[in-house]
Amino acid sequence: MIRIDSLIFHYPYGEFRLEIPEFTVAHGEKVAVIGPSGSGKTTLLNLIAGIMTPFRGIVRVQKRQVSELGDRERRNFRITTVGFVFQDFELLDYLDVLDNILHPYRITGALKLDKSVKRRAALLAEEMGIGDKLKRMADDLSHGEKQRAAICRALLPQPELILADEATGNLDPDNKNRIMDLLFRSIEAHEATLLAVTHDHELLNRFDRVIDFQDFGC
Amino acid sequence: MLDSFFIAWKYIGYNKAKTATLVACITLISFLPVALQLLLNESERQLMSRAVSTPLVVGAKGSALDLVMNTIYFGDQVPELITMAASARVGDTELALPIPLYVRFRARGNPVVGTTLDYFHFRGLKIQKGRQLALLGDCVLGATVAEALDLNPGGSLVSSPETLFDLAGVYPLKMKVVGVLEKSHTSDDLAVFVDIKTTWVIQGLGHGHKDVTRLKDPTLVLKRSKSNVAATAKLYHFTEITQSNMNDFHFHGNLEGYPITAVIALPYDEKSGTILRGRYLSEKETEQIIRPADVIEGLLQNIFRIKNVLDAVISVVVLATVMAIILVFALSIRLRQREIKTIFKLGCSRLTIVRLVAAEILTIVMASGVLCAGMVFLVNLFANDLVRMLFIR
Amino acid sequence: MKRSLFCCLSRGFFLFWVLIALFHPPSVASGKEAASGGKLNIYTVNYPLKYFAERIAGDHATVVFPAPADVDPAYWMPDAGTIADYQGADLILLNGANYAKWVKKVSLPRSRMVDTSAKFRSQYITAHEVTTHSHGPDGAHAHESLAFTTWLDFDFAARQAKAIAKALGRKKPKLRETFQMNYEALHKDLMALDGEIKAVVSKNSTLPLLASHPVYDYLSRRYGLNLRSVHWEPDEIPGTGQWIELQSILKHHPARWMIWEAEPFQESVKRLESMGVNSLVFNPCGNVPDNGDFLMVMRKNVDNLRLAF
Repeated sequence: MIRIDSLIFHYPYGEFRLEIPEFTVAHGEKVAVIGPSGSGKTTLLNLIAGIMTPFRGIVRVQKRQVSELGDRERRNFRITTVGFVFQDFELLDYLDVLDNILHPYRITGALKLDKSVKRRAALLAEEMGIGDKLKRMADDLSHGEKQRAAICRALLPQPELILADEATGNLDPDNKNRIMDLLFRSIEAHEATLLAVTHDHELLNRFDRVIDFQDFGC
Repeated sequence: MLDSFFIAWKYIGYNKAKTATLVACITLISFLPVALQLLLNESERQLMSRAVSTPLVVGAKGSALDLVMNTIYFGDQVPELITMAASARVGDTELALPIPLYVRFRARGNPVVGTTLDYFHFRGLKIQKGRQLALLGDCVLGATVAEALDLNPGGSLVSSPETLFDLAGVYPLKMKVVGVLEKSHTSDDLAVFVDIKTTWVIQGLGHGHKDVTRLKDPTLVLKRSKSNVAATAKLYHFTEITQSNMNDFHFHGNLEGYPITAVIALPYDEKSGTILRGRYLSEKETEQIIRPADVIEGLLQNIFRIKNVLDAVISVVVLATVMAIILVFALSIRLRQREIKTIFKLGCSRLTIVRLVAAEILTIVMASGVLCAGMVFLVNLFANDLVRMLFIR
Repeated sequence: MKRSLFCCLSRGFFLFWVLIALFHPPSVASGKEAASGGKLNIYTVNYPLKYFAERIAGDHATVVFPAPADVDPAYWMPDAGTIADYQGADLILLNGANYAKWVKKVSLPRSRMVDTSAKFRSQYITAHEVTTHSHGPDGAHAHESLAFTTWLDFDFAARQAKAIAKALGRKKPKLRETFQMNYEALHKDLMALDGEIKAVVSKNSTLPLLASHPVYDYLSRRYGLNLRSVHWEPDEIPGTGQWIELQSILKHHPARWMIWEAEPFQESVKRLESMGVNSLVFNPCGNVPDNGDFLMVMRKNVDNLRLAF
């Protein structure tokens, strides 16, 4: 699914430098990435998603060389292939839950919003246990409900790859487990691949593989 | 693009206070200069049309502006008085038709305009309800006065005393409302019309009382001779002219010496008008003849000079407001940086982000535009009445 | 078929609008022109002016004097409806000299009012027999002291007729010559009357005469009558005080004839005859006469006056 070779990344200004000689994730694999803060875990996710491009090296996702794609192609790739789940949920306060879930369809022409999409969104929300909250405003939800909505938003375009950046970072222990259960169940149901950055060691045993950034010497 | 408007609409609806403030600011800075221009245009139109339709005015020498404002717009400032002899003088020249006016008194805040029936024909005023003036003490109301005072033919209206404490001065006359005029959208709508002789009754120059020559009460008679009986101030004067006491009303002295404020002169042709004006050129003249259009044009020149200053002030205010609005939008975008980063991460292009912001700005501007258009429409609709209320009276 | 129907319809439509344009009903303005091309509507305040206007205008005017026959027009008060009729007239002929008291109490369009005696207003006569009133020690007197039967001076009558002719000529410039011609005929009649009275009075210009009412000021002045007035009414028997007053007058003014406005009571006539005073009628003719017209009444008046001389 993901293959990174001889990647070197650094910002134009500053001392941060990320070097990954080799990195692979198989299709359908659930991989956790751990490491100290500032080690480049989020940067890795951004490089894989095509948000950033490496100084040197290749980033390949599903045989597409993301690092070589143009700006527009990387955006299209991102919206159709990658689903993001953020630590701070990143829902829009001024939209209700349904509109938040449908949001990716409204910000790009690559996805077509129609009735079938809305039906799928409702079903997804049902699966996540927030089917009765679709008309509530996002900031009326609890943290757990917000993260479920965010997961629905990530899964709705049926991406092949889910990138979760500290998805349970702002949740209490009960919600953490519940969210992870839902996330894993959905990923399995949609036959997607999961690459999750996490600080929570209690969740590591759920993953197929754990990669420590310190192994890359970052 | 529709999706961008959808998202913009949701954002605007969520931030009601901010949206309302922005819409209000943009509406006001758009509306104010337009409304001011509309009102000034309407003022100019009203002032000029009324002035142009009044060919010549004869009055006492002095402020031409006061004379015109009182004669044409029934303004509060009463010019120096002239007499009916001035009207007879115009008539005797056989160059113009004289229409005397006596605009001095008020009735419940509205100007009482004493004149002759020729005035109504001159201004094209038609009776909507009731009948035209016929008897002493009758009054015909302008449309707006009738509405405001809720008066109809058959009602009555009392003239206001000039001063509260002057017992020997003008005291109230109860006038009978006999007619209401059609709306003319001029100062005539705001006036109470009476025969000029009725204004003299209001002033006390004409009055009604019991036959003095047949009085029995000695305290009512000051001096009695073979040809004349002088009555004392104790003699009661009627405050209302009715069918039963109409014959008791009379005037003392020569009517040609009775006061008026102005004479509208309607020349029979242009040449007559020019000749008539020439008759008032002497330096020894105590009367002046003016063309209202010339006076009003001078007034408008001054108004437009003031308007230029106002325009400059408004421009500065508008500029400051626009800068503030731009700052608000800039700050708003800054506040939404996180949202922008998120949707960028999700796959949104920079152009789409620009479209989202533009949609928000456009929606606010359009809402302001609609509001502004509505307010301008209302101002336009009521410009006529607004101008008369704000500027002319 | 469809095409021919369309052509017919379009031609008919066109023809319809042509007909409308040709036979468009007259506009208000042209309607008004038609009205003004018709008879003038003239209102007067007394009968003499009505007579003069009818003589001068002829068929070109409808002259109305609406006062009832049994009232003195000088003291008549028209109702609101009649006032409205006056307001709607093309011309309102006034006598002047404060004749019609009601004129000062109503609203009339000045542009259509004609004061027929305006040209000789400096020659009005002040009526001394009327008691006026004033307010306060220095107040102006109520202006009721003008004699107003100006038409009894037939020169004045002619001048009033001239004012009417001029006013008519201003209203209908195309008929000026007609009006002038008619006026001249009337003028001739009035001057004939004027000459006749002069001739009658010249026989004895100092002859003392009595008038039952002070309405003959202008007659008296014009023709030099030696006239003293009392305040009697033909339809009232004079009271004792009035007889005493008469006797007192007769002491210094030995008149043998009393001039009445109308036929007096026989009782008054007989008592006067017992005092050596005969009666004759000189009808001022302020209102419409029972018989005849103004000229006929004046001719009869002159005949009656002849009796005294």
